Amino acid sequence: MPALAEQLPRLRLVSDSLLELDYQLRPQAKWDNGQPVLAADIVFTLKLLYCPGLPNERARTEMGFIKDCRTDPADPRHLTLICQGQAPEYQWAASDFPVLPESALDSAHTLRAVSLPELRRGAAASPAVAAFVARYRQANVGRYPAHLPGCGPYRLADWQTNRVLRFERKSEWWADKLSAPPFVLQAHPRQLQFLIIPDATAAALALRRHELDVLPQVPAPLFKQLQQSETRQELAFYTTTSYNVVTVGFNTERPTLRDKYTRRALGQLLDPAALAQATQQVPGLRTASILPPTSPYYNDSLPLPAYNPGQAAALLRRAGWQRQADGHWYRAAQPTPLALDLRYRSDDAMLSTVGLQLQQAAAQLGIAVTLWPTEGTLLAQTLQAGNFDAYVKMTKGSPFVLNFSPLLHSQAIGAGNLTRFSNPASDRLLDAIGVEGRPARKRQLLRQFQRLLRDEAPLVPLFMLPNRLVADRRLRHITPSGLKPGYVAAAMTWAANTAAGR
Amino acid sequence: MKAPRLHPSSGGAAYWALGWLALVAAVGLLAPWLPLPYSATAPDLANIAAPPTWHGPAPHYAGTDPLGRDVLAGLVAGSRQLLLLSLPATALATALGALSGGAAGYWGNHGLRLPGWAGLLGLAAAWWGLRPPLLVGLGVALPLAVLLVRYWRRGWAVPLDGLVLGASTLLGTVPRLLLVLAFAAGPPLGTGWLLVLLVLLAWPDMARLVRTQMRQVRTLPYVEAARAAGLPTGRVWWHHALPAASQPLRAFAPLTLAALIGLESTLAFLGIGYSEATVSWGQLLGELRQAPGAWWLVAGPGTLLLATLVALQSLARRSEV
Repeated sequence: MPALAEQLPRLRLVSDSLLELDYQLRPQAKWDNGQPVLAADIVFTLKLLYCPGLPNERARTEMGFIKDCRTDPADPRHLTLICQGQAPEYQWAASDFPVLPESALDSAHTLRAVSLPELRRGAAASPAVAAFVARYRQANVGRYPAHLPGCGPYRLADWQTNRVLRFERKSEWWADKLSAPPFVLQAHPRQLQFLIIPDATAAALALRRHELDVLPQVPAPLFKQLQQSETRQELAFYTTTSYNVVTVGFNTERPTLRDKYTRRALGQLLDPAALAQATQQVPGLRTASILPPTSPYYNDSLPLPAYNPGQAAALLRRAGWQRQADGHWYRAAQPTPLALDLRYRSDDAMLSTVGLQLQQAAAQLGIAVTLWPTEGTLLAQTLQAGNFDAYVKMTKGSPFVLNFSPLLHSQAIGAGNLTRFSNPASDRLLDAIGVEGRPARKRQLLRQFQRLLRDEAPLVPLFMLPNRLVADRRLRHITPSGLKPGYVAAAMTWAANTAAGR
Repeated sequence: MKAPRLHPSSGGAAYWALGWLALVAAVGLLAPWLPLPYSATAPDLANIAAPPTWHGPAPHYAGTDPLGRDVLAGLVAGSRQLLLLSLPATALATALGALSGGAAGYWGNHGLRLPGWAGLLGLAAAWWGLRPPLLVGLGVALPLAVLLVRYWRRGWAVPLDGLVLGASTLLGTVPRLLLVLAFAAGPPLGTGWLLVLLVLLAWPDMARLVRTQMRQVRTLPYVEAARAAGLPTGRVWWHHALPAASQPLRAFAPLTLAALIGLESTLAFLGIGYSEATVSWGQLLGELRQAPGAWWLVAGPGTLLLATLVALQSLARRSEV
């Protein structure tokens, strides 16, 4: 959406708890069917977030702070979002969603009969909404997005599941007519092709054979191999810092993992220092929190997590576990010994190494850890359904957004809150962080939250994961970034700054 | 598995083969008690994909893989995996193939008759097992029950030959690797289910071989004589016909073992059905994709796998048929 607006939104504080964001959409912006992109499309898209039965849980959690949306009868391209709270990052976060065309999906304007606040309050059960949802599902735009008019520079030309995604540049795109288009409204390649190669070594081979132009998220050992390969002169290597953290998460709804001392004990069996060195081959990536130490909101009073089996045993005893003669740990009212199923994506050697390290350390303490390497899609479903004891995965972050509600708020259970962590104090803190507008107070709240997270240990951060990218040298002017690509405001701000700096 | 007898002319190769297989078996059996400095699944995070070293307090004599696991310990664990998976799978497949093929060849489609009440018993068991809806169940069971009563006195001929040939043809028409991939593509199967899968794949060839042999053996004079002497049919089959009909398995079992080791290694190489907690030779070879320059990942597992397969082939070729 921010690319559709003429500029980043104007902010206006209302009383002491609301923030209004004022957008003016570009008059040139058009859908592929020639219809203009209007404020009504934005309102329609926001209402979709609250329709039951649509895959909107995550977006709903992320955009939950948008209370209402006001259009201007005199100007169909003028729009005001009313946000709960006064956090300054709302100007980036509030528009971080793709816009859908109302004219194509709801030509009868069914949803206009229900306001956004009504939908938020639960009017979603009305027959009109149910009928619309049924029509939306029948259109199956998730599988056939080409049937839906878009307003971006590319159209989907080919989609083969788990193999390839190919986009072709539209011959006529509304932004081509802009006299001085901003960085993110410039689309020069005639074709973008995403090849899905699950095996990193095979992908690197394809890069060396010039069958690929760019290879992102390269594992550290492979990055090093490519740097030492004979074809290194033909390749360009980039390493940038990222906000992505490798974390181990515990299912806090499991009886054995419900108390924080058990989770903390298991966290003490992980060896972040050795794991970071072994898998990333560079020191200094450790963190005590899900924020990187370079962030101004990082709580530097927290000690770095470290391998400490003695402390782990003490914490287990504190949680009520007793080590019996068979070497395993038992607790009253729990007949089975303490054991753990650890899930992770099967094609990632880094995650396998973390799993093996935990398994080995736990075995020495008499705790059986079973490793379950799982295919990516199946893993996502399993974690979302809560069918696991623990997982290890990369948690993605962004320097622009400090809203951890999608990750850890009790309302996000079943969506982004994979650990199913639910704690009233944590929810209150997350709500307060989300709406806080004063930087000093926000910093204080975030430090408190990091301390609480450390104490409760639903997630154990291991180390930051650098963003490694290798590209063919024929490609010029590459500016790598760990940010999610697209037209999100954060990426636009970053791109504008980078372009200005260059 | 019974060791095959060797021709006096078979030379030293077969004895070398037997010796090598005995060594692999001994290493696999004694794996938990061998004085190895590392466990097969414990990662040494300070030595990731390290080449073989002979120095230091706890050297990695055969190097480490990209996950930091000791390759020597992995080779020993691979021998044990062979004993725990491929060998039992071959033994079970041989037993299943011999029994089913032997029975099919001896009794054919009409030789084995069950009494009439066995049909009713089977119907009752099917009802209990399936628990169909009442009307559907009655609709199917009543006509069957009428047929059963009609054939009460004559009994029921079990089409053993058709059943065994049908099942083995069905399994034989699907390529082995495809069938295994279809079963094992999900989460790791565990040793038990992999064993079942390998047995399922290996028994049809054995059964067909024994069935063909049995059709000749059942007409031999000594079997005819045993039947004429009034010995019970089951005894003639078990004591006199089956041992003779199973003779080809002496040569075929080592070949099957070699094929199953190859298949298991292929699966492990592809990382299908396995987790990192189970180490096998194929899996160690597969780690080469993560570290293409690590020659020690090919040298150890590759040599052991090749030597074992050649030894089994040699044993099969020189076995007395």
